[in-house]
Parts: sequence; C-alpha cells; structure tokens
Amino acid sequence: MAPTLLHGFLEQAFRQPQAPAFACGTGRVSYGDLSRQVRGVAEHLRANGLAPGSRVAMLLPNGPAYAAVLYGIWMAGGVAVPMDPSARTGSVRGRLRHAGATWVFAASPVIGIDAGVRVVTLGAPDTPTPWTAAQAPGDQSIPVRWGHTGRLPRSDALAVISYTSGTTGRPKGVMLSHANLASNARAIAAYLDLGPGERALATLPFHYAYGASVLNSHLAAGGCLVVGETLVYPERLLARIQRERVTGLPGVPSTFALLAPHLRDTSHDLRCLRYATQAGGPMAPELVRAVSRRLPWLRFFVMYGQTEATARLSYLPPHRFADKPGSAGVPVADTVLEVRDRAGGRLPAGRVGEIWARGPGIMRGYWRDPEASADVLRDGWLRTGDLGWMDAEGFLYLRGRRSQLIKVGAQRVSPEEVEEVLARLPYVAEAAVIGIADKVLGQVVGAVIVPRPGAAVEPREVQRHCLEHLARHKVPRYVRVAAALPRTASGKLRRHVLARGIEQAGPAVKSQQGRAL
Amino acid sequence: MTMKDMLRSYVLENYLFTDDPSALADADSFLDKGIIDSTGIMEIIAFLEVEFGIVVEDREMVPENLDSIASLVAFVERKRAAAES
Repeated sequence: MAPTLLHGFLEQAFRQPQAPAFACGTGRVSYGDLSRQVRGVAEHLRANGLAPGSRVAMLLPNGPAYAAVLYGIWMAGGVAVPMDPSARTGSVRGRLRHAGATWVFAASPVIGIDAGVRVVTLGAPDTPTPWTAAQAPGDQSIPVRWGHTGRLPRSDALAVISYTSGTTGRPKGVMLSHANLASNARAIAAYLDLGPGERALATLPFHYAYGASVLNSHLAAGGCLVVGETLVYPERLLARIQRERVTGLPGVPSTFALLAPHLRDTSHDLRCLRYATQAGGPMAPELVRAVSRRLPWLRFFVMYGQTEATARLSYLPPHRFADKPGSAGVPVADTVLEVRDRAGGRLPAGRVGEIWARGPGIMRGYWRDPEASADVLRDGWLRTGDLGWMDAEGFLYLRGRRSQLIKVGAQRVSPEEVEEVLARLPYVAEAAVIGIADKVLGQVVGAVIVPRPGAAVEPREVQRHCLEHLARHKVPRYVRVAAALPRTASGKLRRHVLARGIEQAGPAVKSQQGRAL
Repeated sequence: MTMKDMLRSYVLENYLFTDDPSALADADSFLDKGIIDSTGIMEIIAFLEVEFGIVVEDREMVPENLDSIASLVAFVERKRAAAES
C-alpha cells in the first residue's frame, strides 16, 4: 500500500525535527513542533469520540494551524472538509449540512450553525493545543515519534471532501482519498524537483486544490511554507521573498500580473527564486515572458488541472515554453490525457474536443451525488469538461472551459451562489451573475438584474446586501439593470451575451486603474 | 470637505457600500478588516493620484502609507510637503 501524506509528513518530522515547516512573520514552526500539534489535534478528536470517516470542517487561513488540523484530522481517522474562512454564515451552514460535518475548526467564533456541530475556535482557552491560527509555539511535552502504522489511515480511505460549487441547489463535494492526495503531491514534487530546503511562498489559499497541492507537496518533500503575505502589497511581498530566501513562487495569472510591474527596476535581490508555477486559468504567454525577462534564472512552469483530479493534470517543462508557448504541457506522472469527441471517441492530434483524464489523482466521485459522479466518471476516466487539443508530440492546448465558475484571482465564485443572494432582494425579479474579463484578476463578478415592475435598483444597495451575505470577492463589481435576460429558445441563459455587454460598456460602478506590465 | 472626509467617503462608498461614517474608524486597518484587496489598493492609489495630484511610486506601495484612513492622510500630506519644498 502506498504511504499516505500523513506517513510522509511524520517521516520528515522524525528525520529532520528541527527543520522549518512554516515561516510565519519572524517565527518558525519546525517539523517537530508541527508533528506535536498534529498529534494534539488527533488526540483531542479521538478523546472526544470522533468516529472514523466522520467529516471535520476547517475554516482556517493559511498557516501552521491549517496543516496541524488537516493532518490531525487524518491521524484521527476523520475526513477533512476545507472551506473558505471568509465565507459567511449562510454558505458555511449549507456546506456543513451537505457534508454532514460534526466538527468545525475555525480561526474565529462561528455563529449561526446547527446545534450538535462542535466548534473548536483556535486560540480560545478550550483548544487542544495552546496555539492560535497565526502563531504556533508548539507543545514540547509531546515527543516526536514515528507513528504506529496500525493507527494511521489506509491509503484507500476518504481524506478530503473539497467543494467546488454552490451552497444550495447542487453542491459538488469532490471526494479525494489519501492515495489521490499522495500520488498527486509526489508527482508535483518530482517535476518541480522539490526537496528539503525548498521554501515556497504560500499566498494561494490552502482550502482550494492548487493551494492544497502546494502545502502537501512541500510537506511531503520536507520543505517550508512561507505564509502571512498577500498580493495587496507587492513590495512587501518581494522584500519577504528576499528576506526568507524563498525558492518557489506558486501563483495564478493575477499573481504575476500584480507582481510584474514591481519586478521592473526592483531593488530586491530575488536570485533566491528557483521556480514559479502557474495554474488556475489561462495566462497570456506575453506575461510569462515579461516575468521571465525580469527574472531570467527562474524556471517558470505553466500548469493545468482541476479539483476532480486532486489538483494537477499537466505541466509544461520550462525549457519547452519557447517552442510551445500557450501549451498546458504534458501529463503528470502516471496520468494519461486524451482529447475525445462527444461520443467519447478519441480524436487525432490537432482536433479540438473534451479532455479526458485517467490516473491515480482522479477523484472517487462527488459526495452523496452518484448521478453527478456517473456523469463525469466513465470506466476509470474523468471527463474534465474542459476543451482542448493536442499537438503531434502530445502537448496539450486548452480551448475554453465548460465550467461556469468565475475565477477571481485565486478565488472561485459559483454564479448560482451569488444569484441566490440577489434573489432575496424584494425588488429583484430575476438576476444573472457572470464573469467579466479583468486585466489583473482575470475575471471579476458582474450581475445583471431584472427589477420587479415599477421597482428601482440602486447598485450600491445591491452590493451592500451581497457583502452582508457573501465573502468580499463574490460581491459583484459590476451591477447592471436590464428589462429581460437573454435566453436561448429553450430558455437557457446566454451568459456570454451578458458578459460581452458589460465588458463593452465598461465599468458602471467603479473605475479601475491597472499598472503597466 | 477635508482630505480625510474625502478619503473616508471614497472607501465607505466603494468598499463598504455605505455612507455611514461610523463603519470605519481612522485607524482601522484595511487589510485586517478585509476591506481592500489587491485591485482595491490600485484603485485607491489611482484615487490619490487623481484627487490629490501626487504620484505614488512602486516602493511607496506599503501598508505604512496606505493601510488606514489615518495613514493615507499622513502619506498625502508628506507627499505634498515634499513637492512644495
């Protein structure tokens, strides 16, 4: 049986207990400290009767506490359900119910959830270990030891349920096993050539697949995660890269769009950076070139994947970027990609079709939704819903995605969730939410509202209402009023027509100033 | 309207979607309160440049200058004083 991420982590803690697992602020959390915290969480859960396979939700920001709780849940035999810590009560409640979660670990008090769900607020006096979400001094009373394999989870057991869409209607909880997570983390560590001494800047949220893959691949390799930085202040981030001797910079296209202007004439010494990775939506080859011109020693990996495949499906080896610009590369280890037609027949090189994937990272299905699972899982293959083609050498090129998720920077927004919140306004007859192209973030949220007869719509009032019920990145930046929504003859919403209308008209509510690359 | 009032009403209106001044204290950190994201900060800089006629250099894009109403006011005043001298 293949070892799980938990096995791998404990082995690192045993081998190199003094090595840093996290750099937060000026503090360090060593592998030894972190392993003691993992045990603290596991022992707390076990002592309080957590049954194997029980779901434990996490509402935590990036930091050592996130890793301690995640790996602690696994050590106790539980299934982790990571959620956005900025989510509002309504969406948290919906997902907790769907997952059937009986525990929540949160960084701040959680209110308004169902009775019977046990909440552990980190930093409060009743927590299993005396650390807060931001700092982790480590309880030295628990010794570092190599775990007894008999008590650790089997690799075919469920490890994570990761939600990818709306809170009501039909939430999709991607079920990933320990084997899924371990194989994908090892494949990533292999092509990035990760090892002890690696230091990644972890700005991508750990609760999404990409951020989780950064966390897990680095802990598997014995590397260090540098946390506590945001893209809001790029100069501070560059200073941190220099100070911490950061070697890896994982990002989404907006990460690099925000950093690129600051790389011009920078006074920071960034030669410590060995590689950068990019996934989470298409990135213009020109932006890759702009970053590479300023940091010519950097190995830049363009990648592709999805939550249903744990995280990573393909990567473009940096030395092939010059002759394959725009390609998402070749499959990760042990994974096969094919381009197929609507009937499922394999298409030859050069023809556009749906991308199908097979390999050890492919999910077990959607939680409590056999119908949706059967729809995308066919004879061991995953239908990704993404469109693309392959060249004669087997390099993949993406040509649009079928998913309606809006990608705002590193965040994901389900249009349905925002539409549900808009529909609660008394003067809204109908609302549609779409992704609007944004030169920095890739996309931002736009809303088109059809008012009830005679009613007036005030965009700011709509935005305020959304901010009360949704995380900030889900609040529509653009609010437009229309007499009707464009639909096809069969009544299906024509979202691309709405998006084009808003993009052509420009911002209505807010101006936006970008900086030159 | 003073500079502070202008800045406060800009942030209230565009990021908190309200005109209630009690929603934001002078010293409240935009980052800690989750008020401003990475594009929000660029919009604020554009607002400073247009409204107050200053130029914000890349190296000046740090929280000490931009992360609260109080620090914005102090920053603009420093920039103006430097431009006059």
